[in-house]
Amino acid sequence: MFDYTFQWKQVLARLPKMLDGAMVTMEVAVLSMLIGIVLAIVLTVMRRSGSRPLAAFATTWVEVARNTPALFQIYMAHFGIASFGIHFSPFTSLLIGITFNNAGYLAENFRGALKAIPETQTRAGRSLGMTSSQSFRFIILPQMLRIAFLPMTNQMVWAILMTSLGVTVGMNTDLYGVTQDLNALTFRTFELFAIAGVIFYIITKVITLGARLAAARLFRY
Amino acid sequence: MFDTTLSLTDVIFLAKGAGITILVTAISVVIGTVLGILFGIIRVQLGAVLAAPLTFFLDIFRSVPLLIQLVLANAFMGMVLQLQLSGFFVACMVLSLYTAAYCAEIVRGGIDAVPKTTRRAARSLGMSWGQDMRHIVLPLATRVALPSWIGLALGVMKDSALVYVVQVTELLKSTQILITRLQEPLFLLLICGAFYFIISFPLARFGGYLEKRWSND
Amino acid sequence: MKKFALTAVLLATTGLAGAAQADKLDDIIASGKLRCAVVLDFPPMGMRDNNNEPIGFDVDYCNDLAAALGVEAEIVETPFPERIPALMSGRVDVGVASTSDTLERAKTVGFTVPYFAFDMAVTANSESGIDSFEAMKGHTVGAVAGTYEAIALEEYVNAWGEGSTFRPYQTQADVFLALSQGQLDATVSTSTVAQATVKSDNFNGIEVVGKAPFDIDYVALFTRRDEYGFLNYLNLFVNQQVRTGRYEELYEKWIGGELPDLTVQGVYR
Repeated sequence: MFDYTFQWKQVLARLPKMLDGAMVTMEVAVLSMLIGIVLAIVLTVMRRSGSRPLAAFATTWVEVARNTPALFQIYMAHFGIASFGIHFSPFTSLLIGITFNNAGYLAENFRGALKAIPETQTRAGRSLGMTSSQSFRFIILPQMLRIAFLPMTNQMVWAILMTSLGVTVGMNTDLYGVTQDLNALTFRTFELFAIAGVIFYIITKVITLGARLAAARLFRY
Repeated sequence: MFDTTLSLTDVIFLAKGAGITILVTAISVVIGTVLGILFGIIRVQLGAVLAAPLTFFLDIFRSVPLLIQLVLANAFMGMVLQLQLSGFFVACMVLSLYTAAYCAEIVRGGIDAVPKTTRRAARSLGMSWGQDMRHIVLPLATRVALPSWIGLALGVMKDSALVYVVQVTELLKSTQILITRLQEPLFLLLICGAFYFIISFPLARFGGYLEKRWSND
Repeated sequence: MKKFALTAVLLATTGLAGAAQADKLDDIIASGKLRCAVVLDFPPMGMRDNNNEPIGFDVDYCNDLAAALGVEAEIVETPFPERIPALMSGRVDVGVASTSDTLERAKTVGFTVPYFAFDMAVTANSESGIDSFEAMKGHTVGAVAGTYEAIALEEYVNAWGEGSTFRPYQTQADVFLALSQGQLDATVSTSTVAQATVKSDNFNGIEVVGKAPFDIDYVALFTRRDEYGFLNYLNLFVNQQVRTGRYEELYEKWIGGELPDLTVQGVYR
């Protein structure tokens, strides 16, 4: 039917290399999420702080992260910042780019989540003798993270997919980079990228299902 | 700060790239939205079990990096099926399906947000399914779906930066070509970023405004 | 009547078979257009002028080929890693893209006899202190993903072990940008691109410091490997370019200096 000979065998022999790449992809995604969540909390606090410069800084971060392409952000993290003489390895550049993006989107999610938590709760905490930071940490924050859990899962999936953009900054150890290197050697474009696609699919499915199970356990009440 | 050698022809060259970005986005969002509404309604009508194959198919577009979708579609259409398609066509095709996959989710969410009782009331007043969809579901679901849809359209515009991989010279690729010749990465990248921001930011704000306004009442 | 129907079917099938047998060469001549894959961030072989129009040795070579075929040339820009995929997906008819004729690639595409030959040069960031190929050991070095020199250099880096890092970038421009920014300490590229880039004054603080001990990099035109008719034509075209002095003329125009020999001593091709 097709005038094309699939050569899966040659490509499947390279599967271990691609799985190593998948581990690096996971590493970047998980790190960028963890740092991204911390930064997003900081940005959220800044936006609520009432200090105008802090709020402006946080808002600028969030809006730039949400309104420019991720590819642009990653390219900027490598070649743009280097114009100031600061150099990052491809791994770090990719991590910075994705983390910047994650923090921006998550901060916006957190803002939405905060709206769902009544102001009165903070006041209740304060009247129980908590400081405002205590009431934020012990009352608001846990609820906020719970409400924002689903968007956080989505962002994690995004982070995984975004790692594929690392090739533009010289990354060749992640799943996409490894696949592209193998493609340069063998030119089995379709077979190689089909396998990479399947691996990405499995990773994102495992994460979404895992998150759903975790949510069911954690937020039973 | 910037002593640039950027000439008028270069600016026109960048504007052309920006035009391609907007064109690819517009085509994909229009086709993707039509397909997305169709898929979304089918999913709601058929129910989870019957619609499973469709759900699975659409899910692929949300679970595999867009870059890989583009490379794969390009290789499949060209190498395997031996079709002579332009990169522009492949880019629009993939982005349309990509848009449709997300749009179907939004549409489904919108329809689900219309209370069952409201719809039953409409049907018991003698409205047909079509009338119920048009006069009851459409206005109510749109309120839920429109802000997310604006977000999706903007997302597609930003993601269209990846179509360089099938040899479409959009804005970011045009910028890279100029960087090659002029060697002013920071300046050119800032122009490029500013362009995306100027289009995306007001629309995103408008979406936020609609969301706020419509969720209050 | 039956006989007539049979003849009609036979005629139709032979007609179809005849149509299917029109090969690439016929298709190109019939369509009046030759689509060449050219890499445009690879001066002086392929680059853009001030109006962002394609120019360079490969661009002229494609135009010559189109003129010989009596058709119009269309330059399709392809980054290095996309050259062969672009051919395989039918987006271009021929690659005039300074492509090394490796055996691994020849499993996928058909190469002509060499139409150009490069030697490889080491270009270093002045602050790195690198003054030769060997001095690259222990440094961060890079090249363009998927090229002959990238594959060779990565093997060296792997052999050098700890401390040496290899980084592939997507384009030649990104490599030199990273090099001038100091993100890379040195790179290996064809000496022509190295000299053209250093001479262009676009990048500060980089210099050509020596040759890389790789074999001479013969580059060839390529098309689909089953298009014998077209490959034959291309081989003759390469031969004619040398014979008529056009090769020398183009070399003088874009590169200058000693003309590289395109034959290998002691073996037939």
